[in-house]
Amino acid sequence: MSETVLLRATDVVKNFTLRSKQSGSRIIVQAVAGVSLEVRRGETLGIVGESGCGKSTLARCLVQLMPVTSGHVEFNGVEITGLSRRQLRPHRRQMQLVFQDPYSSLNPRRRVGDIVAEPLRINKYGDDEVVQTRVDELLRIVGLDPASVNRYPHEFSGGQRQRIGIARALALNPSLVVADEPVSALDVSVQAQVLNLMADLQSELSLTYLFIAHDLGVVRHVSDRVGVMYLGEIVELGDAETLYERPLHPYTEALLSVVPELDDGTHPVRERIVLTGDVPNPSDKPSGCPFHPRCPVAQDRCTTEKPVLVELAPGRSVACHFPRNVA
Amino acid sequence: MSDARVSTPLLEVEDLRVSFNTREGLVQAVDGLSISVGRKEVVGIVGESGSGKSVAMYSLLGLVRDANVSISGHVRYEGREILGLPDDEMRSIRGRDVAMIFQDPMTALTPVYTVGWQIVEQIRAHEDVTKAQAHARAVELLGEVGIPDPARRVHLYPHEFSGGMRQRVVIAMALSCHPKLLIADEPTTALDVTTQAQILELLRRLQATYDSSIVLITHDMGVISEMADRVVVMYAGRPVEVGGRRDVIRTPRHPYTWGLLGAVPRVESKRTRLVTIPGVAVSPLDLPPGCAFAPRCAYRFEMCDQRPALRGDDGHLDACWLDPTRKVEIRRRVTETGVVS
Amino acid sequence: MGLFIVRRFVAAVLVMFAISVLVFLIFFATPGVDPAARIAGRSATPQILAQVRHAFGLDRPLPIRYLLMMDHLFIKQDLSSYVNIGDRVVPQILNAAPVTLSLIFGAAVIWLLVGIAGGVVAAANRGKIIDPIITFLGIGAISVPAYWLGEVVLYFTQSKLHSSVFSWAPGSGYVPLTQNPGEWALHLLFPWLTLASLYAGIYARVLRAELVNALNEDYVRTARAKGLSERRILMRHALRCSLITVVTLFGLDVGALVGGAALLTEVVFGLPGVGLLTFNALENLDLPVIMGAVLYGAFFVVLANAVVDIAYAFLDPRVRLV
Repeated sequence: MSETVLLRATDVVKNFTLRSKQSGSRIIVQAVAGVSLEVRRGETLGIVGESGCGKSTLARCLVQLMPVTSGHVEFNGVEITGLSRRQLRPHRRQMQLVFQDPYSSLNPRRRVGDIVAEPLRINKYGDDEVVQTRVDELLRIVGLDPASVNRYPHEFSGGQRQRIGIARALALNPSLVVADEPVSALDVSVQAQVLNLMADLQSELSLTYLFIAHDLGVVRHVSDRVGVMYLGEIVELGDAETLYERPLHPYTEALLSVVPELDDGTHPVRERIVLTGDVPNPSDKPSGCPFHPRCPVAQDRCTTEKPVLVELAPGRSVACHFPRNVA
Repeated sequence: MSDARVSTPLLEVEDLRVSFNTREGLVQAVDGLSISVGRKEVVGIVGESGSGKSVAMYSLLGLVRDANVSISGHVRYEGREILGLPDDEMRSIRGRDVAMIFQDPMTALTPVYTVGWQIVEQIRAHEDVTKAQAHARAVELLGEVGIPDPARRVHLYPHEFSGGMRQRVVIAMALSCHPKLLIADEPTTALDVTTQAQILELLRRLQATYDSSIVLITHDMGVISEMADRVVVMYAGRPVEVGGRRDVIRTPRHPYTWGLLGAVPRVESKRTRLVTIPGVAVSPLDLPPGCAFAPRCAYRFEMCDQRPALRGDDGHLDACWLDPTRKVEIRRRVTETGVVS
Repeated sequence: MGLFIVRRFVAAVLVMFAISVLVFLIFFATPGVDPAARIAGRSATPQILAQVRHAFGLDRPLPIRYLLMMDHLFIKQDLSSYVNIGDRVVPQILNAAPVTLSLIFGAAVIWLLVGIAGGVVAAANRGKIIDPIITFLGIGAISVPAYWLGEVVLYFTQSKLHSSVFSWAPGSGYVPLTQNPGEWALHLLFPWLTLASLYAGIYARVLRAELVNALNEDYVRTARAKGLSERRILMRHALRCSLITVVTLFGLDVGALVGGAALLTEVVFGLPGVGLLTFNALENLDLPVIMGAVLYGAFFVVLANAVVDIAYAFLDPRVRLV
């Protein structure tokens, strides 16, 4: 199994400058505050976090949908930060996005066939007949009737629309698919169908997924490795199974403990760690460790010194001065 | 006399049917819902979109404002029939005996008035108190729901609160007249997991303090598992399974419930494959005469052409013609293989 | 909030400055046009032309010309019309202004009351027969041109039914408020009603649409769940939130009207307001007056915009933070 790193991010930072209309002064909001990670070929890396943690911004920065403020992103060993649109094109074919909202990510004025064919046409895939064949193939792959090509998005349900979005993403045979909350807007049973589909596609087409979500159960289900984000930083990164069983970071621990879980008698109920305070605003970052105001085990050091992501065990990294559950 | 009062359920819904006359035809949103809510009980209503769970509760309180709606059945609050009451009589029940909170805290409050003003408005709509008294109570309520510095924050506008804080304000306002029943329509769906935990904990605490009952509407089986005493599973406007929380979650008896439970990706254990229910949700314009779930059910047989009634023992009911032993067998297979077919 | 108001007014001043420069350039720097001939009017003698050239410094550089113009207009206030020789522009405008203001003020009160009442009644009774009736009347009122309506009103009050129903209706003309309030109101009654009918229709429709929207909002659902009466919800919650749009619209409409958009009504009813003044100046190509009127109009529009922005912040607390 080739261990090639498909995507490598090094110290990616993304700042947004806002002007406070009241005082007129500028505030710099650090949406992504120095993220380094690797996505290995064939794996699914899950990024999980609550609102404002920067996960969607990170995704967009990694695929160069928005320029990074600083840091580097390498795709297939090639540096793609700072490339022009034209230079990015060949790389863009290899990395595609699936978005959250099946109702707004498809142009309502275009037919499904045109939506799925668009990437093919832009990249001069072939003549009309070739494109048409490919579109039919793609629709079949995602479980839709090829006769759908002439219909409009509003004629489909949320789950079906998401399948169309996936078909579009797969059009050019990408190696990396970045899915930004692809199932959050779907009902539970539909969600299951789409997740199963994505798993099937991964093995059939040898895809690599970067899967971003806020739902811990979904992330666990799909991921080989998981990164937990808080206020623009990765606070814990590691193998999904062990991370969920033995979280190292107090935030991960709290997060896992409060997910409402089915009490079906198959597992012991976790002790709930209910955090105080609100999910923080990235324009108002605390000093030192960003989590310290809400951390149940914070100490003095945490208010002044920012912890760095350190590998504590093979494949398990955490950014904390006092990590939990260390074996 | 007192015995009778204790045994009368707080809320009794009998064969509630709600339909809308639309251009495309008759939409049967709720098709025969019967539930009862006892005192201090938390009843969870779970279903996906289109299951009719929200519409049912809105109709209870006369909150459906569509001119094309027709509602039938019986709804008794403390023994008194409230379905079909004129609006001015319903108003004294709404907000005072039965309160309701909704999903999105960001749009639930009027943006141009302070939160204090809005809480005071509710109190004074139902009770004969002075503005000062109502204001003092508003401050107290905000403190009770965990809003820091309530005396100052009572003067703030809704947009000056975060999502979680706003939901707390909404809860404070709903409980301001000490209602015996709180209906919560997806109260934490729009919130982050950590905030959701805080709000659920708050609801539990308030329920204990005020001895109130809660009807909790949600699509999240995990929330049901944490909060509910009894569960009603709805599909296509019909209740398909009713029972105690443990019974329904540990030994579900309806194929839809199996599908629903099996489809949830779990934090605790990783499945190889999620259980999927084939097909798409039935359209309320087009309900089959028999079991609504039959078109998608892998176990359907001839009996399913007739609509099954809710039947069962010890308060655990389900609307499925399958033989009980067969159900146990199928469920065991589903849990082991993760496949509903 | 205070800082917001100050910043808004500073912005308004800057906009006025920009407009004055633009007006100046249009009148004085359009290539191929001799400003002196324009200002002096059609029947100008060579001496007058020379006078004009000197007075406006037309041989001087552009910025100096601008400053001279502003000087004549505002400081010395001696800009005079060359058509009606000697008539100073600024006093003319200042005399005409109260007439326009009287017209607008009265009409505004009427159209606000009628428009808001109409909108509220239509929204409260949506689906019932009164709703489309109000809508129909509203559209009718909007569609009727002011000058036509004015002429029809005059026809009925002055000639056709003058001897019978409307014998008390005065002829055209204006009586100042300070002179005789009763006559002032009487002379303005029909102009008020004519002007108001146009706007009342618009406001009723706009408000109805806003109210119906608001009544579908989540906060109204919460208010119902609180047990409040429909009337209270309509008047205290929905209306309060819908007024924001109406107030914005009102500010802009009044600004434009005061600036001279009531022209047609003034002409028809013979009211010597700024509109009529501008109308006559346009007929005679009396450039200095036109320029003065344009600047006067622009001033009120800019002022109205600034006031509306500030009112908006008062009405909608969410705006104050931004």
